[in-house]
Amino acid sequence: MGEGQRELIPQSVTVTKIIDETPDVKTFYLALRDQGGRCSAPFHTLPGQLAMLSLPGVGEAMFSATDGGDHLQLSIKKVGRLTDELHEMAEGQQVGLRGPYGNGFPMTEMQGKNVLFIGGGIGLAPVRSVVRYCVDHRADYGKLHLVYGARTPADLIFLDDLTKHWPAVEDFTVSMTVDNGDDEWQGHVGFVPAYVEELRPEVANTVCVLCGPPIMIKFTLNVLRKLGFQPENIYTTLEMRMKCGIGKCGRCNIGHSYVCLDGPVYRLDQLHELPNEY
Amino acid sequence: MKALAKKNLADALALLAGQATVWVPAKVAGVTRFAPWSPAVTLDLEATPPAVSPKEILLPETESLYRYSAYGMDVTFEAVEQEVPPTIIWGIHSCDVQAILCQDDVFLSREPQDAAYAKRRAATTLVALACTTPGPDCFCTSMGLEPAEHASTDVQLHILTDGYGVEARTARGEEIVARLAEKGLLVETIEPPAKAQACTRAVNPEGIDKKLVEMFEHPYWDELAATCLNCGACTFLCPTCHCFDLTDHRRNAHEGTKIRCWDACMFTEYTVMAGGHNPRPGKKERVRQRFMHKLRYFPERYGKWQCTGCGRCVARCPVHIEITDVIKEVGEVTLDG
Amino acid sequence: MKELHNVNVAMRTLARELLESGTVAGVYGWKKGSRPTLTSPLYIQDAAKADRLAYDQYAVSNLSALLLDHRNNDKKRAIFVKGCDSRGVVRLLQDQQITPEQVLVIGLPCPGMVDEAGSLLTKCAECRFPNPVMADQVLGGVEVSKQPSAPTGVTAEAARKVGVGSRAGERMAQVAQLEGKTAAEKEAYWAEQHDKCIRCYACRNVCPACNCRDCIFDTEKKGWVSKAATSSANAFFAITRAMHVAGRCVDCGECERVCPMDIPIMTVNRKLQQDIEALFGPYDAGVDETVVPPLGRYQTDDPEEFL
Repeated sequence: MGEGQRELIPQSVTVTKIIDETPDVKTFYLALRDQGGRCSAPFHTLPGQLAMLSLPGVGEAMFSATDGGDHLQLSIKKVGRLTDELHEMAEGQQVGLRGPYGNGFPMTEMQGKNVLFIGGGIGLAPVRSVVRYCVDHRADYGKLHLVYGARTPADLIFLDDLTKHWPAVEDFTVSMTVDNGDDEWQGHVGFVPAYVEELRPEVANTVCVLCGPPIMIKFTLNVLRKLGFQPENIYTTLEMRMKCGIGKCGRCNIGHSYVCLDGPVYRLDQLHELPNEY
Repeated sequence: MKALAKKNLADALALLAGQATVWVPAKVAGVTRFAPWSPAVTLDLEATPPAVSPKEILLPETESLYRYSAYGMDVTFEAVEQEVPPTIIWGIHSCDVQAILCQDDVFLSREPQDAAYAKRRAATTLVALACTTPGPDCFCTSMGLEPAEHASTDVQLHILTDGYGVEARTARGEEIVARLAEKGLLVETIEPPAKAQACTRAVNPEGIDKKLVEMFEHPYWDELAATCLNCGACTFLCPTCHCFDLTDHRRNAHEGTKIRCWDACMFTEYTVMAGGHNPRPGKKERVRQRFMHKLRYFPERYGKWQCTGCGRCVARCPVHIEITDVIKEVGEVTLDG
Repeated sequence: MKELHNVNVAMRTLARELLESGTVAGVYGWKKGSRPTLTSPLYIQDAAKADRLAYDQYAVSNLSALLLDHRNNDKKRAIFVKGCDSRGVVRLLQDQQITPEQVLVIGLPCPGMVDEAGSLLTKCAECRFPNPVMADQVLGGVEVSKQPSAPTGVTAEAARKVGVGSRAGERMAQVAQLEGKTAAEKEAYWAEQHDKCIRCYACRNVCPACNCRDCIFDTEKKGWVSKAATSSANAFFAITRAMHVAGRCVDCGECERVCPMDIPIMTVNRKLQQDIEALFGPYDAGVDETVVPPLGRYQTDDPEEFL
């Protein structure tokens, strides 16, 4: 690549694997493939960081990325034109990718603490990048507890992680719930905020990582406050429309903060300093 | 002080144009804007300010970033290399010099820098012209500027009876002055430069950045925005507004060019997310964003106003929503508690 | 302006009454701007602010397009109109963007609008409809008229003196001048004008005829238009805009007034008016809402041979 606008120009990467998570969510594995077919990650990301995925002639959009070692994983829900096209792709397709963007979760600051993860729907994607990091660096973190909810059992994403991998990790509790169960669902039925309240997770020496739809975040924050969580110990991620990813194009600002550069991870007390416009 | 006589101006511009693209304020299709100098250009050094700012020189209205292709399973991306010639902006006023400092904050002060902007900026020399006769909507002194000169220019031109006092402020400026001197285009003068007349408009922005922190939910914005058309005249004419879009210029179903073009926070579509959520859904939110950005967010982030008092938005707002009124009215608002 | 003193008093009283009684939820009018020679749009919802209303020879803005902000709202808004503005309201009614229940139209006498230097605007010199073409109420003795007419009401004499309508017969002069040029000259002229366009869409947003809920220039989804502000893309915008308001343009001249690049937009609008009249006979858009625009009606003897 020449001298041009390097940070804005995607590199070609290959979709090496596609996993159907739910009827409207797929996880895409993206890698650089050399001539021998060996894969390597286009770039590495910290938990919570973002990558800009680009389909030439269709558009670009920012997604939360999970570092997979020799590849990156993006879990993408169908919500519009670009994501519709992405869901039509087959393995082996090339796409454009640039990044990483954003701050990511402060994994060092969180060391030595228990972590309560709360995810709703596709919001588990950014949460999962943190979970994986904590699992990979298990000794650095205290007890892990994930509360995850989706609309129906069919909408639960990362089922292998939820039912096999994570429950097998030492001191890791996984609590799942769905808004509406079905005939086969044996688990909890109810909304995430109420379930969190019911579970009464440990508060002492615990940081909370909370991602999901705005309405879930709003009600869960009320519960966390009731449980005694301080804003300094709650982290969440924000979404805004983004174009450049480098804090220059203007549209993802909340007050003086640019979500693509200064976010997408915000501590609740930092968020309280910003205008309520997201 | 060295002086360039008016009669030598064309020779000076011709000399400099031999080695650089020299942008000068000129009448183009009835509008005063910066245009590359050539003998055919109609200079207009009197417009205060030129109707169109020199923003487009460093941040073009539209520029190509890369070419893409998508055939079968393969996609390619190839940077469009921009030729950036040495560039001189001649006759730029203090307001627009200050605006470039604002743009530098956005594009250069934080990593990653914007490469295309950085390349153009590095190739650019500023030759500022004292602005002694303010236009009807000028208020740069209210925003802390000195219309007669700006410290962050390479060369400052002062107004003399029959020419321009020439003062180099940087090594790059020295070079230009030396070249003019070498060709015998400069003489020594003891004539004192003309003083700037007072700005037509005056406001006091002191403290409003802090006050605006408390005014996010204030009903003031509803009233202010009610007659706004949500057009982009203010943002596109503004020398500090930097927002852009990245979008496709399709050649066919497989190939095209990714372009960067100006965008505006006034436009409905600007912040709409996939799925339809819009954090700034109405006029109020968009108008508030524009003024908050200029008078609060930018000062918070970069430590300076993002308004240089050039008055272009004031002059051309179709419904006369004037930032001078906003500064004044925000100052007058009484906050509870 | 002394002729308008009582009109100003009456405007404020009426606005106050309308808001206090809850007859309307808001009132569109004008206020004095930051200079005596500026009179700017104003929207008030609070009767206590009625005293800010002002109307004089600088109240050039046509406020009718602002009614589009309320098209999904059942409440009534009052709007003060000059002759040209009233045609904008008719445009919105005829295009079914608003219903008569959503608007209360208050007609005003027009003294002829002037620029900041005091010269009568060209559009006023060329005006054929200085009186409101429709109104629910009037102030200042102005007469509602759907026919081209001389100014009426308390400013009739002042309007006549400054020359309102005095050059109505020369409305097509600029069109004729351009038609006199060769094709190459015309192309060069418009290329230069379109080059200037910054795609701010002020012309579109101020226009009562540009009332699409979703404008094709706001959406990239279909890939019909490029956001690139190149000469060709700008020309595509300019031509699309002009064709879309052809036969519906109410001749208020706001697009040209608000253009920050001083592009002579009305020349294109007038050229289309002229062509439409040549093909379909005399037609004044936004005058009588019962008369369908020529390009919006189908006749078996349509001059388009292809059909």
